[in-house]
Amino acid sequence: MSQPTTQTVLKAAAIGTGKISEEHLRFLRGSRRARLVGVCDLSPAMADFAARRFNADAAYTDYAKMLADARPDVVHVLTPAATHPRLVNDCLCGGAHVIVEKPVAPTHGQFQTLWSLAESKQRRLVEDHNYRFNPPVLAIERLLAEGKLGEICEVDVRMSLSICAPGGRYADTHLPHSSHKLPCGVLHEFITHLCYLALRFIPSVDRVAARWSKHGNEPLFKYDDLDALIFSGPVHGRIRFTSHSGPECFALTVRGTRGWAQTDLFQPHLRVVVPRGGQQLSGVMNQIAGGWELTRAGVAGFWNKVMQNTAYAGLHTFLSQTYEALCQGAEPPVSFTDMDRASRLIDALLDERNRL
Amino acid sequence: MKLLVTGASGFLGKYVIAEAVRHGHDVRAVVRGGSLFQDLQRPVELAQVDLRSSRGLTQAMSGIDAVIHLAAAKSGDLYTQLAGTVVATENLLAAMSEAAVRQIVHISSFAVYDPMRLPSFSLLDEDAALDDPLGDRDEYAITKILQEKLVVDYARKNSWRWTVLRPGMLYGPGNLFNARVGLRMGTGWWLRTGAWARIPLNYVENCAEAILLAVENPQADGQIFNVVDDELPTQRRYARLIARRTVPRPRIFPVSWTIMRLIARSAWLMNRAILGGRAKIPGIFVPSRLHARCKPLRYSNAKIKSVLGWTPRYGLIEALDRSVAVSAPAAGAVQQGYQQSNLVESSGGPA
Repeated sequence: MSQPTTQTVLKAAAIGTGKISEEHLRFLRGSRRARLVGVCDLSPAMADFAARRFNADAAYTDYAKMLADARPDVVHVLTPAATHPRLVNDCLCGGAHVIVEKPVAPTHGQFQTLWSLAESKQRRLVEDHNYRFNPPVLAIERLLAEGKLGEICEVDVRMSLSICAPGGRYADTHLPHSSHKLPCGVLHEFITHLCYLALRFIPSVDRVAARWSKHGNEPLFKYDDLDALIFSGPVHGRIRFTSHSGPECFALTVRGTRGWAQTDLFQPHLRVVVPRGGQQLSGVMNQIAGGWELTRAGVAGFWNKVMQNTAYAGLHTFLSQTYEALCQGAEPPVSFTDMDRASRLIDALLDERNRL
Repeated sequence: MKLLVTGASGFLGKYVIAEAVRHGHDVRAVVRGGSLFQDLQRPVELAQVDLRSSRGLTQAMSGIDAVIHLAAAKSGDLYTQLAGTVVATENLLAAMSEAAVRQIVHISSFAVYDPMRLPSFSLLDEDAALDDPLGDRDEYAITKILQEKLVVDYARKNSWRWTVLRPGMLYGPGNLFNARVGLRMGTGWWLRTGAWARIPLNYVENCAEAILLAVENPQADGQIFNVVDDELPTQRRYARLIARRTVPRPRIFPVSWTIMRLIARSAWLMNRAILGGRAKIPGIFVPSRLHARCKPLRYSNAKIKSVLGWTPRYGLIEALDRSVAVSAPAAGAVQQGYQQSNLVESSGGPA
């Protein structure tokens, strides 16, 4: 394995060549910190296609063989969540750092086991918290750090996705998606994003209350709706997932003692309402500023669509910072605490004692 | 023979089933959901499996002499189509291998060809160069290229009997408009991209007949055939013919091939020079995709006619009239709407 230096180029490999792999492999193809030594998929054609498309040294259908032959420094685990514990375990035992798509593991207990293994092997285990690195979220963090929003009072994270829509990947009755078997059902695919974003602005969790519902009639789904409250002293948080209200969005609103900021990560914009132009004109000035921002965001959104800049913009920043940290031997941008808190919160939301 | 037909509930699949039954074969139809093939001369078995998973596939191969592989995903993003076309084919081939089924007739597409390498009005035949799946073709073309290569490589490696048919633009009931004509602009308007290019049409019942000949004729082994009809109309004529048969009759707005090509070339150059090739421009303005749709070329069915003795049974006008007169495939021979568990036999109805 490579020793961390400022000139280090890490040998990277990926397990899983599905949709999410595209963003990881695109990053790896262009990164000066990584060389893609292997991609692995159960399908030889998929593995070969991904290897050719993203200039990997080799394609594999057996990840154990890839670990043994290519000896990667970092493995990206990009397979369905239920397979994560076994794959992460084997990659860590094979001596590789692991970057894994969320969730690291379906339960907090499994996460703890994997973390202990990573510690014992002196390897890094990093969960993808990509939306944390999207520019509007970083901008809200800056506003808070600069005191422009004052002290945090409320955090609201809301995702609306039509996961039950006929013809969609989660509603396919012919070949049901593997996530239906996870503790939160299909919502487990998204719950980590909601939790880590809320926790970014909530210092600690005193109590949670959650209502998991199924409002639709689709037999495959365990839940299609979540409404959860988080209490942390004077700070209130709300996590909301719905598959019925439209249009699709991933909205974050942070309200402070001085003002509030709001974004939608699917249609990126940043609306900030703070004292502007004195008490008399503040309302008008905020409306003008909001209108300007929405117009600007509309144009930028169109441009982003043309230029294929997707909501995964933060993934490249996350991976770039993670690789820099791995090369420097520094703490990755998503820490144990970040992952541990998100995983604990998911368990707490599912706990029967916290159900509404 | 006992035939397994994948993609059996698709547009072409229903006609292939009907034709196979007409030829006296036993048929097992691979369907995802419940589908029933009624009113045929012989019973059709259903194998209710999803090719994206290997579950139940080997069982579905039991007793099969040959596979007619029609299944492919035609919509969705790249990964959806890779799963529905490429992974599905891998699973099928593995199941054939396990069950010792040693003959496959694979239905490919004209989409596999690289039209950029052919001069205008040149002949596109079976020897024309194939496109690179890493190029900027659309998802359907990429996955069909990968799929065909997969089948041929696998069959050659295992010394199977194999045949690849590349039909042109299939048409028939409910499926008259195609991308070679142009674009549908909402209801009532068609943008016709070009006028004088011949459309490599293939009427669905003619194609089904060609497929059965390929299954039955040993001369087809190890061969690739283009399948197009005898009478190939220009874009202008075909657009008029189908517009006359469309209610309400659409208005056709023509744009010349030269102008389309200039726009696409300019868009491509600007994207490369100014935007680093990162901009996503509509497919019709991507040169390789535009050429695949509209380039004026010549086509031949000489090989399949001489080797297999295939002759398209229906000419253009007759086929169009059948298409509008017949609402269900094969003169109502095939219908849907039945739920069955894995691998069951349906009741054979009267002829």
